[in-house]
Amino acid sequence: MMNKEALLLAAIFAPIFGALILPLLGRVSQGLRNNTALALVALSCLCSLSFIPSVMGGKNIIFSFALPLSLSLTFYADTLAVFMAVVSSFIGAIIVLYSFDYISHYDNQNEYYLMVVLFLGAMMGLVYSANLIYLFLFWEITAIACWRLIGFYRGQRDVLKADKAFLVTVFGALVMLIGFVAIFQQTGTFNLIIMRGQVLPDIIVALILFGILSKSATLPFQTWLPDAGVAPSPVTALLHAAVLVKIGVYVFARLFLMTFMISSSWHATVMMIAGASALVAAGAALVETDIKRLVAYSTISQIGFIFLGLAAGNMVGAVGGLLYILMHGLAKGGLFLCAGIIEQNAKTKDITRMGGLIRTMPVTAMAFLFCAFSVMGIPPLGGFFSKFMVISGGIKSGEIWLTLVFIVGAFMTILYLFRAFTLIFLGESKGYPSREGSKMMVACVALLAILSLAGGLLANYPIGFLKTAGYQMVGLLK
Amino acid sequence: MILEFSFRFDQFSIFIASSIAIFTLLIGLYALIFMKGNRASGQFLVYFFLNCFFAIGAVLANNLILLLFFWESLLLTMFGMIMVGGRESYKTAIKAFIIIGITDLCMMVGIALTGQLAGTFTMSAISVSTAGLGGFAFIMLMIGALAKAGAMPFHTWIPDAASDAPLPFMALIPGALEKLIGIYFLTRVSLELFKIEPASWASLLLMIVGAVTIIFAVLMALIQKDFKKLLSYHAISQVGYMVLGIGTALPVGIIGGLFHMINNALYKSCLFLTGGAVEKEAGTTDLTKLGGLAWQMPVTFACFVVAALSISGVPPFNGFFSKELVYDGALERGWIFYAVAVAGSFFTAASFLKLGHAAFLGRSDTKSKEAPWPMLLPMVVIAAACIIFGVYNTLPIDRIIAPILGSHALEGHKFSGLPANMFLVLMTLIVLAGAVLNHLYGVKKSGKAIGAADHIHYAPVMHSLYDRAEKKIFDPYEIGMKLANVAARILYGIDRFVDWFYEVFTVRIVLLFTSLIKWAHSGNISTYVIWSLVGSIAVLVMAWR
Repeated sequence: MMNKEALLLAAIFAPIFGALILPLLGRVSQGLRNNTALALVALSCLCSLSFIPSVMGGKNIIFSFALPLSLSLTFYADTLAVFMAVVSSFIGAIIVLYSFDYISHYDNQNEYYLMVVLFLGAMMGLVYSANLIYLFLFWEITAIACWRLIGFYRGQRDVLKADKAFLVTVFGALVMLIGFVAIFQQTGTFNLIIMRGQVLPDIIVALILFGILSKSATLPFQTWLPDAGVAPSPVTALLHAAVLVKIGVYVFARLFLMTFMISSSWHATVMMIAGASALVAAGAALVETDIKRLVAYSTISQIGFIFLGLAAGNMVGAVGGLLYILMHGLAKGGLFLCAGIIEQNAKTKDITRMGGLIRTMPVTAMAFLFCAFSVMGIPPLGGFFSKFMVISGGIKSGEIWLTLVFIVGAFMTILYLFRAFTLIFLGESKGYPSREGSKMMVACVALLAILSLAGGLLANYPIGFLKTAGYQMVGLLK
Repeated sequence: MILEFSFRFDQFSIFIASSIAIFTLLIGLYALIFMKGNRASGQFLVYFFLNCFFAIGAVLANNLILLLFFWESLLLTMFGMIMVGGRESYKTAIKAFIIIGITDLCMMVGIALTGQLAGTFTMSAISVSTAGLGGFAFIMLMIGALAKAGAMPFHTWIPDAASDAPLPFMALIPGALEKLIGIYFLTRVSLELFKIEPASWASLLLMIVGAVTIIFAVLMALIQKDFKKLLSYHAISQVGYMVLGIGTALPVGIIGGLFHMINNALYKSCLFLTGGAVEKEAGTTDLTKLGGLAWQMPVTFACFVVAALSISGVPPFNGFFSKELVYDGALERGWIFYAVAVAGSFFTAASFLKLGHAAFLGRSDTKSKEAPWPMLLPMVVIAAACIIFGVYNTLPIDRIIAPILGSHALEGHKFSGLPANMFLVLMTLIVLAGAVLNHLYGVKKSGKAIGAADHIHYAPVMHSLYDRAEKKIFDPYEIGMKLANVAARILYGIDRFVDWFYEVFTVRIVLLFTSLIKWAHSGNISTYVIWSLVGSIAVLVMAWR
């Protein structure tokens, strides 16, 4: 088993320490730096993938290094963690690949790759941490990396928006830290494995929820996310579609489904917040004209669906919510990357000034359409299964009317995505010259679209995997 | 847990699935010629046959989730087929997608709820009552089924598609296939999953939807001046008969409804195919420009006549027999439903007299020739089936449809052969004769075939209603889009308010706080000394206590 533990450490620390040497490599050769960045993320992904057979067989991997003051360094790879790690590092790797061309004509590329890889490494650390303090530590590293990346263009407005994102999420995290300390007061440990099955008082749940909702950009903490659309598109894809916003969701699953018992009134409460968030953001997406803000609102709205599944308190909802993370990551990542191609080649972000782009960028248009179908939840794309499962979970929990709020949100999802697709790709061109993106970028979005389709056709594999996670959950109402 | 791949081969599902396959084959042959020269014909055919796959999957599925998977997948092929119609057809494609997509989401809720109530998603094992939440689930499932079949108020994309989508799409999808699967699911849900009773609200609801669909759609069909558009409204109107028949929950009505479903698929696709032949050969489907095609396209004309007589319910064609069964059931449930159904027949006959007269008879301005044989063959085969299903109606009714209900439900009744109720037959004949007289009157009054319905179109109250309907004021889609936009503005307002809290309110609070501290740090030594003194005294007082 020594071997597996080494892989676990590699999955976390290869990108974190590797990131630090990227700026040095960048001084030697850009190609070397780019490929190394990709290799680091891919390595992390491969390591995580290699855990799948063993966690499926019920053998979770633990690495522990004793330190005083309850600060023992403990990493723990169970089904949930491996799933999350694979999803984020895999989508992360595609985004890094896409960045090669996208970012190639901007300044500060060394810092860009440093921050992206550091961010992904911290994400790995976060999902594998079995100690609340290290979880918080990695959480904050992602916040810092995210702060630098949002303000990548260094304009006055960009920096302000980066500050806003940082302040909102860090404020939430600090409130959450109070919750963590309160947990320590109650249990005498920060170790998640030891405190499995404990009942958590409402006040602590509320404090932790503060952090989770702020990180996952849920009402009333949502507005930093659309504002962070000032970042380069691969960054928005990475932070706002695939990885960063899923941190909150992951911690929710980790703490409130996998570790603690919480009182059942929280299920309805979280569903209510998520429903309001899904609806408000969907409405905003129907009004918004900036393509990246539009997709960002869509993310906020879809996060609501994930919370619906996780908070439903039953197996089908929880598995559906986790599956939603995968399907939404693929599809929304694709949408953001498409937005990047459009924004670079049409030289505008305003969808009312675009039109007819399907003729100049057919592949991007098809990729956009397929990813949009997946987000809408249309079979045979992957989004269908996740949407059906969270809705099914919501209904199973008995909150029928609350679930109907989400259905209205799903109606609006169809409307705003078609509105965007029509304004961008169909109709008459508004005179902006445009061309297809570079081969690599187009290949990346096409890959994500194909994966969204494959996710639907082969949905039984992720569902089967997530079911083993579902069986380990203690927070499900039996 | 989620997707159990189970299929079900019983009389009903096999019948529908094989009908789908046959229609796809025949119309596919037609499409090969029709789409020739279209840049996107390859793409169209891909969607066309994929559509067949999804439809058959939906029909054979024995698991509600599997059914939903195939059912919703039809959205993609439908969207694709309308999209290739032309540069502007995307508007219709999106409209169709949104209407069907939203109703499919309702169906998703219905399926999740039904599965929850029944404890299983296996269709053959489900039995739920329509009381309480079951009733809600039933309505949600009905929304999905009715929208797929094209009943009101989910119909408005069909007339738009008539002018935008390629014709084989119209002949196959709204013409035949969507009726088959929509009515299939409707029947399964209302008779097997929920087992509605004749006296229940669910039955009444279905009958009302059916009656409303019949009459309003046919009234719109009457005034159309385009071959394909006129047909598309009939594609909606005819659904009403099926829903009405099945909604009666009486064996006679159900058999009539199902028989009407297959009959409608036959004559409606045949009519669309003749329309396509006209479009291809005469270059237009505008009735004001057509005329006298009967002698130039005799085979097409013959097929049109057979199909038109069938849809009008003239004996001994198939439509006559199925309509009589539906009338029988409707009359038993309430004379008003019967009256609406018969009125629908009157206008149906009137509009087809007008259509046939304007397109095929009269003076011709165009030189057209007969369509090539691969286009004629499907028409002739389908028209022949219309006759066979009428004359030998024991074949479809006794062999195919009656066994679907099972012998115990039939209570020894026999529904094939000549209609049992001669009063109904007499009424039908009177109504048909009335339609002919009405047509002659209309032609005489307006002086041309196309104006045969003008006296109804421009009647005092009808005129203003028709004007508004033409402007799409009654279109639920347009109304829904307006509502969605208003809702979106309000929700966006909430979002902006939250943003104001961060961007303005928080900043102001912080500035207020800092200005207080600033004010305290005035730089004046004596002020600081006073502060220090006050502070030290406070400390001393606390220590002393």
